[in-house]
Amino acid sequence: MRSGRRRISLGRAGTQTHVLATADITRKPTQEPTLRRSVTPWGSFSWGYSDVGADIFVGLGLVLGAAAGASNVAFLFAGIVYVCIGLAYTELAAAYPVAGGGQYFVFRGLGDIFGFIAGWAVLLDFTIDIVLFAWSCIDYLSKLVPILSFVDHPWVHFIVVFAVIAGLALLNIIGVRESSAFNEFVSGLDVVSETLILFFGFLFAFQPQLLVHTMTFSWPTPFNLMNGVSLAIISFVGLESISQAAQETQRPASVIPRTSISLILTILIFALAYSNLALGMQPWHAIPPDAHGHAQPLWKYLGNENNNGAAVAVLASYVPYYGHLAAYYVPVLGAILLLISSNSGVFGSSRIAYAMSGTQLLPSIFQRVHKKYRTPAVSIVTFCGFAIIELIFAALPSLSPPVHYVYSRLFRGEDGITFLGDLYAFGAAASYSFVFIALIALRLNDSQSPRRFKMPFNIPFTYRGNRVEFPVVAVIGFFGIVSILVFTMITHEIGRVAGPLWIFFGLLGYLFYRRRKKLPVFRSQPHDWRKAQINILQEAGELEMMDEYLVNVKDMDARRVSATAETLR
Amino acid sequence: MTPAIHVAHALPNPIGILLACAVLVAITATLYWMLHPPTTTAERAARATEREVDEIIGSVIIVFSQEIHSEHMMSLAVRVARRERAQLLAAYIIEVPHTLPLDAEMERERRDALGVLQIAESIARKNNVEIETEIVLSRHVAKGVLEIAKRKDAHLIVVGAYREGKYTGAPIGAAIEVIAAKATCDVLIGVQGNKGKILTPPQVTGRADVKPATQAPTV
Repeated sequence: MRSGRRRISLGRAGTQTHVLATADITRKPTQEPTLRRSVTPWGSFSWGYSDVGADIFVGLGLVLGAAAGASNVAFLFAGIVYVCIGLAYTELAAAYPVAGGGQYFVFRGLGDIFGFIAGWAVLLDFTIDIVLFAWSCIDYLSKLVPILSFVDHPWVHFIVVFAVIAGLALLNIIGVRESSAFNEFVSGLDVVSETLILFFGFLFAFQPQLLVHTMTFSWPTPFNLMNGVSLAIISFVGLESISQAAQETQRPASVIPRTSISLILTILIFALAYSNLALGMQPWHAIPPDAHGHAQPLWKYLGNENNNGAAVAVLASYVPYYGHLAAYYVPVLGAILLLISSNSGVFGSSRIAYAMSGTQLLPSIFQRVHKKYRTPAVSIVTFCGFAIIELIFAALPSLSPPVHYVYSRLFRGEDGITFLGDLYAFGAAASYSFVFIALIALRLNDSQSPRRFKMPFNIPFTYRGNRVEFPVVAVIGFFGIVSILVFTMITHEIGRVAGPLWIFFGLLGYLFYRRRKKLPVFRSQPHDWRKAQINILQEAGELEMMDEYLVNVKDMDARRVSATAETLR
Repeated sequence: MTPAIHVAHALPNPIGILLACAVLVAITATLYWMLHPPTTTAERAARATEREVDEIIGSVIIVFSQEIHSEHMMSLAVRVARRERAQLLAAYIIEVPHTLPLDAEMERERRDALGVLQIAESIARKNNVEIETEIVLSRHVAKGVLEIAKRKDAHLIVVGAYREGKYTGAPIGAAIEVIAAKATCDVLIGVQGNKGKILTPPQVTGRADVKPATQAPTV
C-alpha cells in the first residue's frame, strides 16, 4: 500500500489487487503507478483457480442435463477449444504483462471498436458471473440448509441471491474483501478436495462397463449435444484472471506460462474426470427415484433441476467412504469458492469498465470513485444493477406462473440457471473469438515484442519485410470457439436473443459516445504502442525482454530505412 | 435409462484404480512443475552469493578505538552474527604512544574502552548473541586490529566511521584505510552519509570523547 493514500479495494485476490486498484484509480496524468510484484506462482494460480475452478461446480450439472451420455464428449470438445484459448492467453499475458486481459489484447491488436466489443462481451460475462455464481453458491448451501432450495422455495432462494449480490456490491464499495491468503488457502483446499473425490470415486465406484453402457444407450440428439458443448465451455471461463494479475506477478514472463498451463491442465483433468466418473460411477447406496417413481442413474440425478446447481456436492456425497465426509464439507467449500468467484465478477466488471473508460471506450463516469471510500462506486452499482436484472429474468419463471407460461412458449421453458448459462456461454465465446483474432493480428503487426511463450505449430513467413510466425493453433481455436458460439446461437433460445442484444445496445452506446466526444467512431485513436510496450516491460521488471524489444525495434527501423533508400535509388 | 449393472460394494475395477492413480499423479505433477519455475540469472547469482556468505562468515570482529567509532555498526554486526551463527568479538584498540611502555596503565582510555564494550555486550545480550570482548594495547590502531584478526582467524572485520560536525571531506580515517588495505579477510565499513541517520552514533555512550545529547556527566 502506498503511503499517503486511502486503501482502495476493488476485487478479490487480496493485498496485491489493493495495490493495483490504488494505482489505477488514483492515477494522475503525470503519475505512473508502481505495482508491487507480490503475486507468487501459487498466488497467480489460485487467482485463476478461484475463478475457473468454481466453473465445474456449475457446469457439471448443466452439461449432464443437456448432453446426457455424451457429457464427457462435450467436455472434451470444449476442453480442446479451452486448451487453445489457454495457450493464446498464456502467450499474450507473457508478452504483454499488463492488467486488462482479453479486452486489452483485442484493443491493442484490433483497435478501439473491437476492443470495445470484446470488453463489452467480457462485461456481460462478469455480470453473469455475479449472478450465476451467487445463485450456485446458494444452491450448494441448500444441500445443507434445505429451505434455500430453488425448486422448493423459489422466493427464499431469489431473496437470498439478491441479498448476496447487494451485499457483495456494498462490500466492494466500502472496500472490504477477502484476503489473498484466504483465497490461496481455499484454492489449495479445493484442489486437494476435488482430487480426493475423483481418486476415491474412480478407485471404489467406477465401472467402465457402465460408462460404455451409458454412452451407448443415453447418447443425446445432435441438438442436445450442441447444447451440451455450448454449456461445457462455461466450465472453462475465467482464464482472464491470470492475465489480469500479470502486472502484479513476480517475473510474469516466466511464471505466467507455468501457472496458466497448470491451470489449464488442472481444470481439464477435473472436467474430463468428473464427467467420466458421473457417467460411469456405480454408487454404493440407492439414488432417489425420479418424479415418476422410476429408478434413475447417477448422471441423470445430477443433471435434474433440483441438483444441477450443486452437482459436484451431490456426486461427492455418493463416493464410497469419502462421501460421508464430503457430504458435509463440499457444499460449504463449493459455496465459498463460488462466492469468491461471484465477487470476482463484481470486482472484474468494475475494473474492466474503469480500464475501458480510461481508454475512452466507455464514458468517464465509470472512472468516478466514491468520495469517502475511493472505490469506483458508479461502475460497481451499474454492473451489479445489470446483474440484478439478469437475476430477475432468470428467477421470474419460477416466481410467477404467467411468466413461466410465456417462457415455456417462447424459450422452451429454460430454467433460471440454464438462462444464465446461455448468456455466460455467449459472452465467453464472443470475447474469446476476438482474442484469437487479436493474437493473429499481434503476431503479424507486433513481431518485435519478445514472446517468452509461443503457441505451438507456427508457420514462419515474411510479412511487410518482417519475419513472422503464423499461429496454426489460434486458427483451430478460433474455429472451435466460433463453432461453440454458433451452437450457443442455435440451441439457446434466450442466449441467441439476449446476447446479441447486449452487444448491439452496447455498440449503439459506444457510437453515440464517441460521436459526442468528437472521437474517431469506427477508426482508432493514435496510440504510441512502442512507448507503451517499453513501459509495460519496464514495470514488469522484464528488463531482458525490454532490451530485446528495443533491439528488435531498431533492427526493424534500420531495415525499413534501407528498404526506402533502395526504392529511392 | 436405468443402468443394467447394479454392483453394490463391487471390488475396485482395475481401470478405475488406474484412472484414480492417473488423476492423483497428473494433478501432483502439474502443481509440482508449476511451483518450480526456472531460476533467472539474477536469482542464481543471489543464491550463490548467499551460500558463499554462509560459508565464509565464521567469526566477526567489531572494532572500536579512539578514532574508530563503530557503535552504530554494533547492531548490524550482531544481526549478521546471529543470522550466520558466527562468533562475535568486540575489540577495543588502545593506541599507546611511543613515549610510554606498551603495557602502560592508561586509565582514562581503559575506562572509555570498558564503557564502549559494555554497550556492545548489552546490544549482543539483547539479541541473544554471545559476545567476547577484548581490550588490545597497540602502538597503532590498524596494527592492533590486524593482529587480533589474524589471531582470532576473523572472517569479517566491522568498522564504523561517522562525520563529525560539518566535516565531509574524508570520513574514513587513516586507520580504517590501512585496515582495509592490509586485512586478509573482508572488511565492512559503515560510513554515515552526509544526511544519513541510520548510521548516526548512539547518543548515550560511555565514551569520554562522544558527549551524550543529554549532557550526562562523562566518566
